[in-house]
Amino acid sequence: MSAKAIDIIKREGRRPSESFQREKLHASIRAACLSVRSPEGVADTTATNVCNAVIIWLETKPEVTSADLRRKATETLESFHPEAAYLYKHHRLVI
Amino acid sequence: MAKKVTFDYDLIVIGSGAGGSAAATLAARAGKKVAIVEADTFGGDSPNWSDVPTKALLHAAQLYDEARHGARFGLRSSTLGYNYPSLRTWKELAVQRTGAGGNKNYYEKEGIATFTGVAHFLTPHEISVNRRHLSASHFLVATGSHWVAPNIQGLDDVPYLTPRTILEAMRPPKSLYIIGAGTVGVEIAQLMAIFGTKVYLCDIASRILPSEDEEVGTLMERVLREQKGVTSLTQTRTLSVIKDGIGKRVTYSRGGVEKSVKVDEVLIATGRMPSVDLGLENASVSYTPKGISVDAYLQTSARHIFAAGDVLGHNNHTHTALLESQIAAHNFIHPKSKLSPDYTATPRLTFTHPGIASVGLSEDDCIKRDLAINKAIAPLNIIARSNTSDFRDGFAKIITDKRGVILGATIVAPHASEIIHELTLAVKYGLTASEVASTPHAFLSWSEAVRVAASKLVR
Repeated sequence: MSAKAIDIIKREGRRPSESFQREKLHASIRAACLSVRSPEGVADTTATNVCNAVIIWLETKPEVTSADLRRKATETLESFHPEAAYLYKHHRLVI
Repeated sequence: MAKKVTFDYDLIVIGSGAGGSAAATLAARAGKKVAIVEADTFGGDSPNWSDVPTKALLHAAQLYDEARHGARFGLRSSTLGYNYPSLRTWKELAVQRTGAGGNKNYYEKEGIATFTGVAHFLTPHEISVNRRHLSASHFLVATGSHWVAPNIQGLDDVPYLTPRTILEAMRPPKSLYIIGAGTVGVEIAQLMAIFGTKVYLCDIASRILPSEDEEVGTLMERVLREQKGVTSLTQTRTLSVIKDGIGKRVTYSRGGVEKSVKVDEVLIATGRMPSVDLGLENASVSYTPKGISVDAYLQTSARHIFAAGDVLGHNNHTHTALLESQIAAHNFIHPKSKLSPDYTATPRLTFTHPGIASVGLSEDDCIKRDLAINKAIAPLNIIARSNTSDFRDGFAKIITDKRGVILGATIVAPHASEIIHELTLAVKYGLTASEVASTPHAFLSWSEAVRVAASKLVR
């Protein structure tokens, strides 16, 4: 499942916008899952499911903020892997 | 000196339904620079997809039904029939004539900028609509609500109808399973049953119309069963829906027994959820899936953002949304003399035949609040009009406190939606049953039932 062209506004417009990249989202979710010691296969499957859900959500939105993307991805990830979702949500605060 | 921030607009209204349109118009007439954003059809749900088209079809259906049963008055109606495509044309004409449906030009004439697309907050003062960034000093969120399907096994894989999509059907289905026996479910049940559809009306509650008084649900269940052949499945949980040939097979559980029924179509009318997916977090607006939280002045947690209508999640009436829209506009235009909406006398209507209308507190509300009340019911069959119209199914019910002040009322009668306004006035201005009873009520009007019910409460 791939998304149509969607602009992601970063840091409330303080950084240049960029196009939505499924691979980037997939990699970040996968990394969060691996960080909480998920097996690689599970991490991949979880990341794929989360990406699919996020892309469906993005269907009616040509432009969203990076915070929106993170929030939606976290919300979806919570149902698959709550620990990874916590890490994904708070990774900036986690040393 | 600090640089003054400039915005594109004074007010951006998100949603052009009843909750948004009045505010946009009032603000524009007050000289404010206003924009309105609509994601679907201009005018919103009520004139395009719900109230107006449903009531237009119900009017035609009730006329047809009454004429069909006219033999008792000496009318010959054996050759009476209907043409469903023509009924749809009538419905579309009614929508067009309201002037509210698809009324983009109206806003432009009022000097309001219009934008079509999904609005999404980027920052507290900026939204994006089709990649176009619009900023405003104030916003009004009036995005309304949408139908949601319950979590029923198989429902994702089987196409189903909603109260919006059934109005676009080319012909009435032969059989219909309605999940949700609230106001809309009951209206559609009666509409389709009149046109010959076998209707199954299912609800998890112990009666149909669970938000109305018990007598209403009991009476309407009997009327629908005896006169229209509707099967009411109360206290029933729908378990699964699967495709079965060209129809659908619905399995439900009632009284611990599982049964199944094959129907042409399934209609979901279980409820609406506020449309809150518009990046409200980016604007620091507090909300839950049940709606946006507002204070008494309809301001959200971000003070420059107002919210009105179904998106608040407490009420789904167009007239309530309109009231809130007017109040939000007032509070935006006159921030030093803010108003609060008064919901005490908001009528609730169901456009069936007989019609159902209620106002103020229901008996259940009074019990929940532990209020000491008196109540009186006047059945329609004691009113002279029931004789001349040969119609007896209905009643007027009035609830007062111990001092006789009217707290609430329910009318089940033809033209109930008109009769209720007398009692709306009584509830709003704290009139007593004695005052209502001593007011002349015209002989041979249905309103005589109100006088009789009020008289019963006078000591």
